[in-house]
Amino acid sequence: MSAREEILKRLRANTRETYDKPDLSQLKPIKYDDPVAEYITKTTTTAGAKLIEMKPSDDLATIVRQIADGDSVASNLPAVKADVNPDTVGSAQELMKVGVGVVAGTIGVAENACVWIPQETKEKAVNFAVQHLVIVLPRTAIVNNMNEAYTRIEASTVYFQEYKFGTFISGPSKTADIEGALVYGAQAARALTVILTP
Amino acid sequence: MSTRHSKAAEAYLKDQTVVSRHDQTFFGVRQKRDRMAQALPEWEDLREAANLIKKHTETHLADYLELFEKNATANGVTVHWAQDADEYNRIVYDILSAHGVKKVVKSKSMLTEECHLNENLEQKGIDVIETDLGERILQMMKLAPSHIVMPALHVHREDIGDTFRRLIPDFDQIAKGYGQLAGGGSPADPNDPTFLTYVARMHLRQQFAEADAGMTGANFGIAATGDVVVCTNEGNADMSTSIPKLHIVSMGIEKLIPDYQAMGVFQRLLARCGTGQETTVYTSHFRGPRPGGEMHIVLVDNGRSQIIGNAEHWQTLKCMRCGACMNTCPVYRRSAGYSYTYFIPGPIGINLGMLRDVHKYHDNVSACSLCCSCDNVCPVKVDLSSQVYRWRQQLDDHGHADPMKRMMSKGMSVLFNNPSLYTTALRFSPMVNWIPGPLINMKLNPWAYGHQMMKFPKKSFHQLWKEKKL
Repeated sequence: MSAREEILKRLRANTRETYDKPDLSQLKPIKYDDPVAEYITKTTTTAGAKLIEMKPSDDLATIVRQIADGDSVASNLPAVKADVNPDTVGSAQELMKVGVGVVAGTIGVAENACVWIPQETKEKAVNFAVQHLVIVLPRTAIVNNMNEAYTRIEASTVYFQEYKFGTFISGPSKTADIEGALVYGAQAARALTVILTP
Repeated sequence: MSTRHSKAAEAYLKDQTVVSRHDQTFFGVRQKRDRMAQALPEWEDLREAANLIKKHTETHLADYLELFEKNATANGVTVHWAQDADEYNRIVYDILSAHGVKKVVKSKSMLTEECHLNENLEQKGIDVIETDLGERILQMMKLAPSHIVMPALHVHREDIGDTFRRLIPDFDQIAKGYGQLAGGGSPADPNDPTFLTYVARMHLRQQFAEADAGMTGANFGIAATGDVVVCTNEGNADMSTSIPKLHIVSMGIEKLIPDYQAMGVFQRLLARCGTGQETTVYTSHFRGPRPGGEMHIVLVDNGRSQIIGNAEHWQTLKCMRCGACMNTCPVYRRSAGYSYTYFIPGPIGINLGMLRDVHKYHDNVSACSLCCSCDNVCPVKVDLSSQVYRWRQQLDDHGHADPMKRMMSKGMSVLFNNPSLYTTALRFSPMVNWIPGPLINMKLNPWAYGHQMMKFPKKSFHQLWKEKKL
């Protein structure tokens, strides 16, 4: 018998009583009077990120260039007019040298500042390896809590299609592993800016 | 009358400043967790939901494993099964050697500690680099983790700085870069945590760039979709898997949950309980290999399929390794990770150690005051303290009861089963008060060890009752 069969057989033989799956629809996760305001507060306080509220007249590429302050920009979003395209870059390593990466977020979560970023570019390193990550998020995409976010992801027919990865990111990479002192800029992006589009 | 835990704790307690610092650090995390819990009106409902989801999943684990494997395979992932640590280590080595891997970057995984993967791969000539900052510090210092979530909080910055200066070859060059970034000059404190974190960042990013493979653990496996979910603050699991093209996931079979609705419950609990944050910075869903890459998942049993059959201890399988039980435990906070003989300390570690090997790890069951605080913070409601209590009841059956306690129990049995003997003993007990302090508070009397001997009252409760003075 293979290891697989042995393990499954043992599990079935050793399981004694069984328990039914609970009905999670009874759960009432937290809701906010103004989820967008809550999201903005969480993002700019506990999560340690910056946030720019874009006006309809603003130009995305201009805002990104201001953030980049002369550094290189990587993105496959046409409106960004980036220097490096993570779809066509030679290797993921090249993105480690890039200053700013710009990606699209599709769900923002008010309770904890998480933003869902489905992978929509060949090299997902653009989310992590760059120095400064910029997430473009529509303010209409903000939900109250993680359960609502997961309900949306579950119902979606576009996520995980071409690229089999998605991530929630709430702030810059951080650590408190040296004597508990909080430091931003562990291994991944040192800074995070969310651009909230109208 | 002491176990290896109590002896080690006694040695640790000699330096009170170290103990206070450790105690306060972890109690601070516990307090942050409390604030998180109080901020959510549905907190207790969440815990109960997590408990019920885990009870359901663990008791239908074979079905969920089959579903998970089917979905993961359909997503282009290769799924492997390992019955024990040896088989697991062999599978991982075979995958790595088939790809000619020389260097692996890996994120924290308690399972790889459990199976001694790193030592195993290093013996076979593969360079294994831990990428969680705490784990990397410990790896360089050749130390074991002292906590499962914050593994190196007990190490002081001076020792970390010395280690980095000694073992990171381009330390000076990195330090120069930091000076330029910070506007010239070096930091006032050469062991400043911000500076040392920067040094580690540059050192580790070099490793990500050079590695041929990335390894991660799994916080959760989602049966309905085949996703592996990994949560970190540093982003090291994501760096490990977005630069190298080969990704190997090590996952204990108990890590499965049914679906995304369940994931919502656990994502909301994990960081709040573990570190007192609303979320980890990164919650990454890996559903398949990178373009042009490979993804392997190794499902590891290593005793778990036996634990499910243990009527008294199967609920340890619900544990999601958040560490909340350690942070709240008064014994853990004052004795620290190395006092325990199993690599996972604290309440959950006591129980997991006993399930691993009663004869090897029984010393840890003394590391509990039965205050039950762990039961109240556990997000999945593992009955941790009751389990410790049950292990203690079985110590004699396993041949590990303390000889003095066994003798005392026998003596008490004689005393309590013989009313006239008991009454006589009671009448004479105040005489103990006349024995001079140094004689009674000496080492031969274990009761007086660590606390003052009590004063026996002149009249017993029985006597007062009979005299109607109560």
